[in-house]
Amino acid sequence: MGLIQYIVSRVGAYLIVLFVGVTITFFLPRLMPSDPIEGYIAQMQNQAGQSMNPETIEELRTSMRKLYGLEGSIVDQYVDYIKRVFISFDFGPSLASYPKPVSEFIFTALPWTLGLLGTALVVSWLIGNIIGLVAGFYHNSRWATLLEIFGVILYPIPYYILALVLILLFAYIWPIFPLSTTILPGPITWEKINSIIYNSFLPALTLVLAGFGWNILGMKALSFANKEEGYVTFARLKGTPSRTIMFSYVFRNSILPQITALALSIGGVFNGALLTEILFSYPGLGLLMRTAIGSGDFNLLYGTIIMSIVSVATAALIIDLVYPLLDPRIRFR
Amino acid sequence: MIKLNNLVATYTTERGQVNAVDGINIALPSGKIIGIAGESGCGKSTLLKVIYGDLIYPLALTSGNVEYGFTGDRGTEVTTRDIKEYWFRRISYIPQASMSSLNPVIRIRRQFVDFQGNVVDEAKILAEVREYVRSLDLPAEAIDAYPHQLSGGMRQRIMVAMGTFFKPDIILADEPTTALDVVVQKSILMLLMDIQEQMENTILFVSHDMGVHYQLTHKMLIMYAAKVVEFGDSEDVFSTSLHPYTKMLTDSLPTIGDDHIREGVSGRPPSLWDELVGCRFAARCPLATEICRQQEPALLEHKPGHFSACHHADQV
Repeated sequence: MGLIQYIVSRVGAYLIVLFVGVTITFFLPRLMPSDPIEGYIAQMQNQAGQSMNPETIEELRTSMRKLYGLEGSIVDQYVDYIKRVFISFDFGPSLASYPKPVSEFIFTALPWTLGLLGTALVVSWLIGNIIGLVAGFYHNSRWATLLEIFGVILYPIPYYILALVLILLFAYIWPIFPLSTTILPGPITWEKINSIIYNSFLPALTLVLAGFGWNILGMKALSFANKEEGYVTFARLKGTPSRTIMFSYVFRNSILPQITALALSIGGVFNGALLTEILFSYPGLGLLMRTAIGSGDFNLLYGTIIMSIVSVATAALIIDLVYPLLDPRIRFR
Repeated sequence: MIKLNNLVATYTTERGQVNAVDGINIALPSGKIIGIAGESGCGKSTLLKVIYGDLIYPLALTSGNVEYGFTGDRGTEVTTRDIKEYWFRRISYIPQASMSSLNPVIRIRRQFVDFQGNVVDEAKILAEVREYVRSLDLPAEAIDAYPHQLSGGMRQRIMVAMGTFFKPDIILADEPTTALDVVVQKSILMLLMDIQEQMENTILFVSHDMGVHYQLTHKMLIMYAAKVVEFGDSEDVFSTSLHPYTKMLTDSLPTIGDDHIREGVSGRPPSLWDELVGCRFAARCPLATEICRQQEPALLEHKPGHFSACHHADQV
């Protein structure tokens, strides 16, 4: 019963987050003093030397409002918008590459972001936690201190600095990786997979290294504290082998807060991924978002923002739903 | 017979070294429940650690050793040096109930087998565990549960089951009932007594509670400031004590129908950091004379089997 309650509450929170996020992306641009259509008309009038007659302008205004989904009262627009986004996943046409729909751009870019982010997140979380566990469990040894120093150095470096350093080192001074991402079009072959891995290596390394430090420090502190728990002492006095104590006792208990921390940090990592993509010209959501801003493509921008909200919230939901598998106190409340 | 040979156990701290057990030299009979009592900081728990052989930094055994009175796998007598190899098979430990000694995220049955070395036939051992747990008035399914699904009393029963499953020669219990309510406390103590009667092992039982000691123990060992001050049959220690400290401890116990105001033991034990001359209890002792302040009393057998470290044992 407790488990069902837990799942329902998490899914409920997920839906609320999505709804609020989508609502904010609807209202925020409408709070701006400028009107994109009036701006566009003014621009056209300037080009035409103020020679357009009022009827033509009115016609233009109506057809553009229809096109942009700006007809009717703000409530009508909102209801229409929610329906389009949640039911048909339609963000309207791209303004810069009219009439290609925004969703098409997004679905081309999304797998790249998810692939890069997912791989980097899993790798940095797993390796960071294992290093942290070893550093915390053997906190008396010199190696543990060395590992911790490694974490302390890595963790405050922002993504973009790390990305620039890696580009400078491994794409310019010692050019073993490409400066920017170029991926061949065409069907999936081994050659293409290799090229994707080769091109994604540096951006993934950036994300792994930048996420790493915090995982090491967090896990080190947790496992160090966990070592002092009564059950660890008792396991030692029972004569439980050290390796069993490390994994079944210290790791299994310390990993729980780290799972929560992962869910909380996913938003930040996503931000980092967007910046990293821009720096490496990696064809994901981040680059798409930057293109949208650069070309004033509002529909595309809102589409990518909503997609970001959906990705982060979904990832956090998945982590939340995995949690009870590792913590029996939630499974059998 | 468990022989404690001139044990000195030292904690290394930033301030320097302090002897929490300072020259204990006594032989404890086997097959008895032996209570260890004394104020906080008198060295009870440290003595248990030393006997268990759990000597990790900052605790170290500076001198002496323990002879456990049984022979090990190699046919030689087991001493402090190799006692670790017999943990839970020949010597076991039941921790305080307040300390959560069970791992909250793995099932209890796993915690029953994860210390048994290379378990060849896990199902067979678990069947035995189930049978044994049932004999201790616990449902056999209790071992399939996670710790949070059991009550405090059931958890402590599980701890007793773990500590006694191998029928060890020696069981060390460090305040095993402290955090439990009196009803559960009584049932756990009865369980320990039953087990001891059946298996005839030696139980070293540490507690603050003199009432519990009175009910449970065959022998009493009273400690004061890192030393043993009295040792003997519980009955003798409680009724005809040979040490003023023990007398003050037992006098502070309430009895039904007696409404006199109870006096505690006034004053405080000396700091182990100071250089201690003479009897360590002298400053709080009503019988103290000049000799007590200058010469340390030895632990002597004043009556058969009844030891006391007091210059005025005959006046107590």
